[in-house]
Amino acid sequence: MAYGRTRNRKIFLIFLVPAIAVLFLTTIYPMIYAGYLSFRSYDLAKPFVPRVFVGWANYREILTSSEFMHTLIVTFKLMVITLSVQLVLGVGIGVLTAQRLPGMALVRTLLLIPMMISPVIVGLIWLFLYFPELGYLNYFLSLVSISAVPWITSTTWAIWAIAIADIWQWTPFVMMGTAAAIHSLSPEPYEAAMIDGNSRWQIFWHVTIPQIKPVLISLMFLRAIDAFKLYDIIFVLTKGGPGDATEVLSMFIYRQSFTFWRMGVGAAASFVSLAIVVVLITFFFKSLNRSQERI
Amino acid sequence: MSAIILRNLVKRYEADMAVHDINLNVEAGEFVVLLGPSGCGKTTTLRMVAGLEDVSEGEIYIGGELANDLAPKDRGIAMVFQNYALYPHMTVRQNMEFALRPLRLDRAEVNRRITETAEILGLDEYLARRPSQLSGGQRQRVAMGRAMVRTPEVFLFDEPLSNLDAKLRTKVRWEIGYLHRRLGMTTLYVTHDQTEAMTLADKIVIMRQGRIEQVGTPEEVFVRPRNTFVATFIGTPAMNLVPAVSADANLHAKDFSLPMPQKFRNHVPEGLEVLIGIRPSNINLADSGPANVFAASVRGIEYLGTDALLDLRVGSEELVAEIPAILRPEVDAQIHVSFDMQSLQLFDAKTGQSLESI
Repeated sequence: MAYGRTRNRKIFLIFLVPAIAVLFLTTIYPMIYAGYLSFRSYDLAKPFVPRVFVGWANYREILTSSEFMHTLIVTFKLMVITLSVQLVLGVGIGVLTAQRLPGMALVRTLLLIPMMISPVIVGLIWLFLYFPELGYLNYFLSLVSISAVPWITSTTWAIWAIAIADIWQWTPFVMMGTAAAIHSLSPEPYEAAMIDGNSRWQIFWHVTIPQIKPVLISLMFLRAIDAFKLYDIIFVLTKGGPGDATEVLSMFIYRQSFTFWRMGVGAAASFVSLAIVVVLITFFFKSLNRSQERI
Repeated sequence: MSAIILRNLVKRYEADMAVHDINLNVEAGEFVVLLGPSGCGKTTTLRMVAGLEDVSEGEIYIGGELANDLAPKDRGIAMVFQNYALYPHMTVRQNMEFALRPLRLDRAEVNRRITETAEILGLDEYLARRPSQLSGGQRQRVAMGRAMVRTPEVFLFDEPLSNLDAKLRTKVRWEIGYLHRRLGMTTLYVTHDQTEAMTLADKIVIMRQGRIEQVGTPEEVFVRPRNTFVATFIGTPAMNLVPAVSADANLHAKDFSLPMPQKFRNHVPEGLEVLIGIRPSNINLADSGPANVFAASVRGIEYLGTDALLDLRVGSEELVAEIPAILRPEVDAQIHVSFDMQSLQLFDAKTGQSLESI
């Protein structure tokens, strides 16, 4: 028995080592190295200049720069827009597709397609749609006599253009989670509620939503983290512009590190971003625990 | 309280008949149990009465009104489900409140009803708890409470005790019986457990394969089963059925003969192949000697405390007997048994129908 267990443990190790090695090389080591860099001045254009220790200077620079604050505001604004729309749309469509009707499985699969496309491709698709003169979107708008919208060239519209593309891609994720959560609910409480004579809306609001709330919180949390890291679509559509209208946090980090070659500042910004995500996670687990205690 | 009338009720799933032409009257205030093995159509019948399943053919009347096309909420019914169907995120009080919501009662009336119901069911202390903090028995009482607060005309129970352990089952069974005597609501109750049916019902409806086999009081279905299905379904252990042929006012089984019991003498024809139904409790230990006493060997004994079950061989015939445990013989003992002749049942071996009062 003991022999079997130690042998099992060795097998565990054999299976675990590659994963741990990859994790170490691609996540843990870069993170430690970034932590190291965030306290140094390191100009990528001058690789032979020694990386001088600068203390908190990089952090101080970021946290006092209005540019960084602006990116934070843009990031959160984008997060709030995409999250709220994805929640409402995703839950709505999820409820509809959770109905047990013939062909619904096919509908659900079709609706998942946006999610399966690589974000860069999504960006390109929407780039074509948004194209000022030749884009389909403005063409369709012109058909209903709405004048052309400067989707990605106006500072007010650009953030919406990005939000729409992200919403298009990720609403199916919320939809799928919602439909799955609804399917996992037992049908009897619904029958009981029907016999009692509660309206569909009341049943949805008082029976369905509270029961799938933990799932919704998880979905929102995953979307929040992704929205916080949103990069590819923006890179393709606006590259943070026009001006800095859509410069989000990850765009800022990219620009500091690889456009201005200030690796130290970029690394420090990454750590600030990490700190914000950690706060988000903590908040999420708190609220999840609270909603599960109630069930 | 409303009566329920089922007229030629049929439920078809594509080609399958789940319920075949059911006719049933449930009088106002009556407690009727639909009893049968799983898949016999009893739950489908109940769900049609509730309005949770469409009726394929036939009519359902509740309180004199044709209910086929009424929405569940308009049928004046309340239903208690096997797995309680409580709203898991709501407290006991909120569960009851949500059931009352469509009635748009004022606050005071809602509170009065909940307090009263909680008192009847002994749920006062648990009103602030959620279902997950309650035992199975308590949850089922909450489910009954949620049904009761609406003061419905008709109560429907779908195997309400099946998820409870044996001890609780007895307790909640007593409670349901007590509630029915106290509130007198019309009740339709589905179960596969004959003990529940025997103890609770005013009238038992025994179903098999979508058809009604017999309707009667618990005593009627036990004492005068209409066919071998009912005879062996009701009563534990099941009734013994011994093949025999009637001749010369006697019943000749393979290895023994019995005189034809008085009540069958005039109308069971000569030479008819029959099944003799003998309840295990109607087999008694006897001294050897007198007429109608048979030698038997004891193949096995199950000691049940008060009683004991004997696995007997009378000739080549296998019989189960139930005797007071204190009288039980040893395994492999050779004993003598007699039968309570007036309790014997006779069935036509071909049709399985009872031969009583043809």
